[in-house]
Amino acid sequence: MKEKIKLALAQISCKQANKTENIKKIEKIVTKAKSQAAELVIFPELSLTGYVVRDQIYELAETIPGPSTNILENIARKTKTHIVFGMPEVSEKTHATLYNTAVLVGPKGFIGKYRKMYLPTHSVFEEKRYFRPGYQTVAFDTELGKIGLIICYDIFFPEVSRLTRLEGAQLIVCISASPAVRRMFFETLTVARAMENAAFLAYVNLVGIEDGLQFWGGSRLIGPQGKILAKAKYDEEDLVIGEVDYADIRPVEAFVPTLKDIRPELFDKLKESAEKL
Amino acid sequence: MKLIPSVLDLDWSEIDTRVTRFIKDYFDKSKTKGIVVSLSGGIDSCTVAVLSALAIGGDKVVGLMLPEKETYNAQDVKHARLVAEKFGFKTEMIDITSTLEAFYKSIPIFDPSDGICKGNIKARTRMIYVYYYANRFKMLVCGSSDKSETMMGYFTKWGDIAADISPIMDLYKTQVRKLAHHIGVPKEIIAKPSSPTLWPGQLAEKELGIKYEQLDLILYGIEHFLKTEEIAKQLNVEKELIDKLKHRWLSTEHKRRTLLTAKIEYRTVGADFRLTRNPY
Repeated sequence: MKEKIKLALAQISCKQANKTENIKKIEKIVTKAKSQAAELVIFPELSLTGYVVRDQIYELAETIPGPSTNILENIARKTKTHIVFGMPEVSEKTHATLYNTAVLVGPKGFIGKYRKMYLPTHSVFEEKRYFRPGYQTVAFDTELGKIGLIICYDIFFPEVSRLTRLEGAQLIVCISASPAVRRMFFETLTVARAMENAAFLAYVNLVGIEDGLQFWGGSRLIGPQGKILAKAKYDEEDLVIGEVDYADIRPVEAFVPTLKDIRPELFDKLKESAEKL
Repeated sequence: MKLIPSVLDLDWSEIDTRVTRFIKDYFDKSKTKGIVVSLSGGIDSCTVAVLSALAIGGDKVVGLMLPEKETYNAQDVKHARLVAEKFGFKTEMIDITSTLEAFYKSIPIFDPSDGICKGNIKARTRMIYVYYYANRFKMLVCGSSDKSETMMGYFTKWGDIAADISPIMDLYKTQVRKLAHHIGVPKEIIAKPSSPTLWPGQLAEKELGIKYEQLDLILYGIEHFLKTEEIAKQLNVEKELIDKLKHRWLSTEHKRRTLLTAKIEYRTVGADFRLTRNPY
């Protein structure tokens, strides 16, 4: 496993419901990021289709692996990069059970996927109408280190990042489609999740306007000490390269030992209280 | 949450950017050739016309002035022209008096003493003119309804509310005033009392029975899920006033929604056919 890696925050806007155009853009940007020495290129939540696709999602969703992930795998092979992107997934066992999924592919093909656990269904969000929540956090062993995946609203629930970290993830990738009115929450929570877990956190948000929703961008790489190591522009497409040095984790983990000090018995209490809420 | 005037303060530079970006994005995606605004010379329409000009360039924006003899106000016309000149967009003026009179004459049951019914004809007639221009020249209609009036149902159904986009509909009237000031709408336009100009002497605050400064704080409280009692207590007003405004807000929802039909089939237009707003 590498001690240092370079990753690209690929902050793009998407064409709503147009997978062909979005894949073209992804390929172009992966190639550009590779030319800047990026080994991992991260795209936003539902970057294959755009975020606001409403009922068209039933036509757009695919199995994973499936046709679009095959194309992305080929791009990863060809460019010798790892790629994280988001897409609507349809279950192999049913015809209309969908998930909001993050996919990780690499030079050797498909690595893994994560199904979003917390689906916002309030304000302008209607994710539970379409998606079934996931039930499993993930951390994948890769040549770029142990990489965990979470999606957008999951970051409001510290247990998702914590579980991902406890599965061994040293780099937590959070792909997102966050509209501008939520910016303050994400700017705070991304830093908090990195610090409390003594991990790197790469947050990649969508930009552009979909049905009046303006996505604010502001993608960033945060170090385990909470420092913003790389940051993309607000509101505009951007491609920013950041470096992860896993050696930075140990001093932080020793200085503020949040993982060593975890009290498992509190989680039983948390479960009890949450059930009675 | 404290209901004080500063809660309505926003970063006006950021709002300006967000609204103009919204207009430009929709305009670009729609592949139309311009924007037409029904330009009364009041704060809302002047602000929207200016934002449109800032977003896509004044050469692609037309302010259509549609006065009629009963409510003709030379100052409004002057203001409309002033703002157009300052921000470099075009204006055209059509006197709609003869069209309105033809309507009045042709309706057998027309009652001139019913000001609301008659006023609505004016708003809907203006809509027809604006949409004719939009169709004829492949333009978008940009509406100028604000949040205070929209929430209160203080508009004509299928009239002044009719538009392809409504860029300031999420800003209360007092916020529109601040945005207008930020983008350079002349002070005299911002300062004059609002009026839908459907009949002579009509004033929005008089008709609504409340000053916008107070109305906006009440609506802000409603928007932020505050209970009636809490809003009344904080603003030191009678609970009955909040109840009355809440009733007005709830009972006018039919004016803000797409058509309602009886649910019969699998998926129904306006109900559970949930599609993206595809402007192209």
